Amino acid sequence: MKLIKKISLVVASIAAIGAFSNASADKLDDVIKRGTLNCGVVLDFPPMGYTDKDNKPAGFDVDYCNDLAAVLGVKSEVINLTWGDRIPSLISAKTDVVVGSTSDTLARAKSVGFTYPYFVFKFQVLSKKGVRMASFDDLKDVKVGAALGTTYETEYFKYADSKGWGRDNYTSFKSENDAFLGLYQGKIDALISTNTNIATKLTSGQFDGFVAGPYVPNYDDVVGLIAKRDELAWIKYLNLFLVHQIRDGRLNELHMKHFGTAVSPDMVQSLRDNK
Amino acid sequence: MNNYEFHWNVVFDAFPQLLSGAFTTVHVSVLSMLVGIVIAVLLALGKLSNNKVFYHFANIWIEIARNTPALFLIYMAYFGLGAYGIHLSPYLAVFSALVFINAGYLAETFRGGFQSIPTTQYSAAKSLGMNNIKVYRYVILPQMFRRIYHPMTNQFVWSILMSSLGILVGMNELSGETQRLQSTSFRTLEFFMVAAAMYFVITKLVLFTSSLIAKKVFKGELS
Amino acid sequence: MNLFTPLSWSDSGFILTGILNTVYISVVAIIVGSLLGLLVGFVRAESNKSINMLLGAFLDVLRSVPLIIQLILFTTFIGAMGYPLNPFAAGSIILSLYTMAFMSEVFRSGFDSVPTSTIKAARSLGLNYLQTVRYIRIPIGMRAVFPSWLGVALSVIKDSALVSVIGYMELLRTAEQLISRTQQPIMILIGVGLFYFMISYPLSRYGKYVERKMEI
Repeated sequence: MKLIKKISLVVASIAAIGAFSNASADKLDDVIKRGTLNCGVVLDFPPMGYTDKDNKPAGFDVDYCNDLAAVLGVKSEVINLTWGDRIPSLISAKTDVVVGSTSDTLARAKSVGFTYPYFVFKFQVLSKKGVRMASFDDLKDVKVGAALGTTYETEYFKYADSKGWGRDNYTSFKSENDAFLGLYQGKIDALISTNTNIATKLTSGQFDGFVAGPYVPNYDDVVGLIAKRDELAWIKYLNLFLVHQIRDGRLNELHMKHFGTAVSPDMVQSLRDNK
Repeated sequence: MNNYEFHWNVVFDAFPQLLSGAFTTVHVSVLSMLVGIVIAVLLALGKLSNNKVFYHFANIWIEIARNTPALFLIYMAYFGLGAYGIHLSPYLAVFSALVFINAGYLAETFRGGFQSIPTTQYSAAKSLGMNNIKVYRYVILPQMFRRIYHPMTNQFVWSILMSSLGILVGMNELSGETQRLQSTSFRTLEFFMVAAAMYFVITKLVLFTSSLIAKKVFKGELS
Repeated sequence: MNLFTPLSWSDSGFILTGILNTVYISVVAIIVGSLLGLLVGFVRAESNKSINMLLGAFLDVLRSVPLIIQLILFTTFIGAMGYPLNPFAAGSIILSLYTMAFMSEVFRSGFDSVPTSTIKAARSLGLNYLQTVRYIRIPIGMRAVFPSWLGVALSVIKDSALVSVIGYMELLRTAEQLISRTQQPIMILIGVGLFYFMISYPLSRYGKYVERKMEI
């Protein structure tokens, strides 16, 4: 009886809050009226997002936020997220859009609205020098880790399960940075991340004792911006923004700035193919 | 509801994973409690002893455990020790932080319980012809146990709730598992609502069992 | 691009902001939580069984679900309802309610500790109901529970570290960001630990001192 009372109490309070809610205006109008764009970025994923030595947000994704805010004619407010925060931040309307390298899986698309893809990654292994890592299958015998809830974790599990490896040698980390710190400290011998993040970490000089290894077989990580699923007009606008970033050469500029090379024709082709 | 549609079937499909997470939660809290109790007894004895080394060791342990956040101690066990090449798994990091804290809090509880029993009772029992073991077995410990039972139950519930911090070092307990499931499906509200309900049920079960035991053992004379 | 840079003096402002944010949210939660707790504790000490059960059920949920889950659920839920809150506001609300759940028990036992004979004596001296509450029950009851109150307040300061999970830049989250940048966890973590210890330890000593004094 007590339990039933408690449950009905909870249900009643939920209903009460629900009754207060009203229909919100269009997101695009909201942002323009508000004068600021709340743009979520994962700031522990260099060079897409990181904090510079003044503890200010920087990176490819941050520049995309600023570009978007500029074309909207509003102020850009970058909000720091972890991988796991991305969806809660959208649902809780803390962010208007997340420029956070979100893989466009069909499971996720049931919950959240994806734009056209804006980047394509490869998943790669980074391992300690001296650890045998000729192929992806060598991961079986070493301590391996990745950030919790990422697509590469899911892909690794899928691969490991298909080979019957078990998960005893696997450690998950709350965030990308924690995974790299774990590798750096020696908690794990190898981690899985994106090729871009690994390349950036290697050029930093801090990871001289580590080498980039094999890619996750047969997988291209196609990522999009995400927004609330029902904000169709807003998502349409974001799509056009992404098309313009390619057409106006801004994608190439930013690729030069953050990766030191021009954007590959393959990636541009892939972005167009995946539209 | 403001255009939020609940998708419960994703949660039902993932129920086995949630249950295994809940099992890990219970596992780590029970173990950390048991080990914590053993260490707490030693620490309490240390605080009561005249040996300076024991006393200060116990004192420092207790004060650190009581005056720093659990989250800090978990980080310390994970990345702090990691910097010195001591690599605890997420499970062990959370476990040792919980043991450290449980021991610190329970030591004070035990000491308080011990000191609350007047020494006159000890002399009285002795004068009735009981030997040392009998005095403790029949007079001191039963009273002490009655006084510390309730705080111990609270500490256990606290351990269950605080093991949720495992989410922050990638442990696969209930919260960490919930976080992973919501990241792959993006159904945040649904998964965390179910997790909250599961925590509620677990703590209620613990409290219920505890009061059942209390009724049996103390016959309703719980202070 | 400079990804990893060591800790420097220019970070002190950043750390100070983190410290202030921790202090800020703790103070808000303790004050609001205590006031609400006083009210709820009083109502619970006064009211009949059914109201008590209803209130008790609500407090029970607050005490039986991990704070970290409450924080995530609340921000997500309130946002999904169309009322987004910034991390400070959402964190303050949940931390205050959480504090209230524990404070109400403390205050309730304080109210219960005032003997009915004292209250009757006060009434017979001509004090009305509100006057007895104001001049007898609150002063006497609250003095008795001061050490427990301090204990809950201290645990709130420590628990405020959890508000970091919804993005509030308090001390621990600040420290985490610095650790990511410097890859040097030890020094930063010890600094954080010392800060909490320096606040919590003297106050807990004071609480024990008061407790001992009251026993005598």
